[in-house]
Amino acid sequence: MNRKDFILHLIGELSHFVLDADPTRMVISLHQESTGFHLAIIDDTVRDDLELEGIRAALNKSQRPELAGYYGSMAGYDLLGEARLDLIGWQIKHADVSATGQGTKIDLWLGSDEFDPTNFTITSEDE
Amino acid sequence: MFLYALLSLVLLVGFAAGVLSDGVVALSGAWRLQTHPARLVNDFSQIAGPGAALVNATLVAAIALVLIWRSQISLSGPTIAAFFTVLGFGLFGKTPLNVIPIIVGVAISARVTRHTFGEYILIALFGTALGPLVSAIAVEAGLAGIPAIAAALVGGLAAGFLLPPVAMAMLRLHQGYNLYNIGLTSGFLALFAASALRAAGLTLGPGGEWNASPSPLLVYLIPVLSVLLIASALVLGRGKIFGNLLEITRNSGRLPSDFVSSVSHGGALLNMGIMGIGFWAYVLVIGGDLNGPVLGGILTIVGFASFGKHPRNCWPIVVGVAAATLVFGRSLSDAGPLLALLFGTTLAPLAGEFGWKLGIVAGFIHLVMVLQTGAWHAGITLYNNGFAGGLTAALLVAIIEWRRTNQKKTEGFRSNRT
Repeated sequence: MNRKDFILHLIGELSHFVLDADPTRMVISLHQESTGFHLAIIDDTVRDDLELEGIRAALNKSQRPELAGYYGSMAGYDLLGEARLDLIGWQIKHADVSATGQGTKIDLWLGSDEFDPTNFTITSEDE
Repeated sequence: MFLYALLSLVLLVGFAAGVLSDGVVALSGAWRLQTHPARLVNDFSQIAGPGAALVNATLVAAIALVLIWRSQISLSGPTIAAFFTVLGFGLFGKTPLNVIPIIVGVAISARVTRHTFGEYILIALFGTALGPLVSAIAVEAGLAGIPAIAAALVGGLAAGFLLPPVAMAMLRLHQGYNLYNIGLTSGFLALFAASALRAAGLTLGPGGEWNASPSPLLVYLIPVLSVLLIASALVLGRGKIFGNLLEITRNSGRLPSDFVSSVSHGGALLNMGIMGIGFWAYVLVIGGDLNGPVLGGILTIVGFASFGKHPRNCWPIVVGVAAATLVFGRSLSDAGPLLALLFGTTLAPLAGEFGWKLGIVAGFIHLVMVLQTGAWHAGITLYNNGFAGGLTAALLVAIIEWRRTNQKKTEGFRSNRT
């Protein structure tokens, strides 16, 4: 799968998750570099600590190559049931989940070993 | 390591039981099975004896376990399901010789697309459903010697190579509501393979052998396994496993639902043991034959009880298949309906996600389909129920999706959203 298709599937599954909560605002931001990319999604759904921890756990799954390479291909395609963040979690390097006060921000980091996530953060203007 | 030890113990006990029951005949019989056509439904316990069938099955499953270990993939729900599926089908179709070309074909596919074999290991292990394609080309194509071996090898490698792309496309078709996705995949590929073989002038007629009086070795295999699994669950989980089992039954079971990693080892093992003994008791009560194919069905259920199946999402499918069987005037203990009932639980996620009524409907449709689909691919794929289940799931998912999409549109307009 090329990078464009991969990003589209990630955005699809992540948007599915965010839209399940029926927000009035959703912002998707993408920063790309040759070694990796940062995808951020912000909504105005206020979630409690337990919900945030659940999202964090789903997105920071341990490496499961047998699931990522096969079932991970369903990410962004299966829109019938509930969104499943673990389909994303098996495929990405790291995820940050935080409360913005007015909603939730999810940052996904993907890339090679040389990828430096500190170069890619959403600026305060973006938020 | 506990799970590796447990599955190795299952293999050792199975192999020893096979050899001890039939002696040298078990070994020579297992060797004879390697050159059997193996298309559906050929009960190895009838063809070469129960001991030979067990020896063959444990050898195929040993290949699976070694591949999982060598690929450094965690032994968890999906790999346990693959292990027990391979073990079960080793009693009626898979042999070490006919699965290896398929596995190598998938490995080549992984190499070409720059994936590790570990990423495709589930496709490789479940993909051994196409083992009879290799056997049929080698034994039934009218070739002999090296040309027969070469043609079988090429057929197996080509099928294995094509499995990954087709498997991923099929997943999107039923969206994870058919647990045996490789059943749909291999059925789809087998349609082309059977057509090609028929075009080449081969007559792939129906056939097969069925053991109508299984020996006690086969009859008591599942209870022994279930007791072992439940005892292991008690050792691992202590007092928590019943709570864990309850948690498992709340899961829809949609692919991929790994009960081992998402709930607990103990809970998953308890579920496996209960499902095994439950379906074994059902077969006993209706007077079914506990032979190779039926044990294969129960072993597959045991495996998938760590990866999607549990009592709550399986019972509606069972009721649906049983109702269809009776409506069409068949006996519950007939080979076709009995296998459909066991393997039809591939549709359990439909009941888990959309409720028991839809589960019963799915089970009913499944029986209607599965009694026809075997002839389409001439038994070249062993997962005929996975194929029929995939078609049933795709139909129901399409209808549900269409209905929900239109409902949501109406709701959107009512609330004046754009």
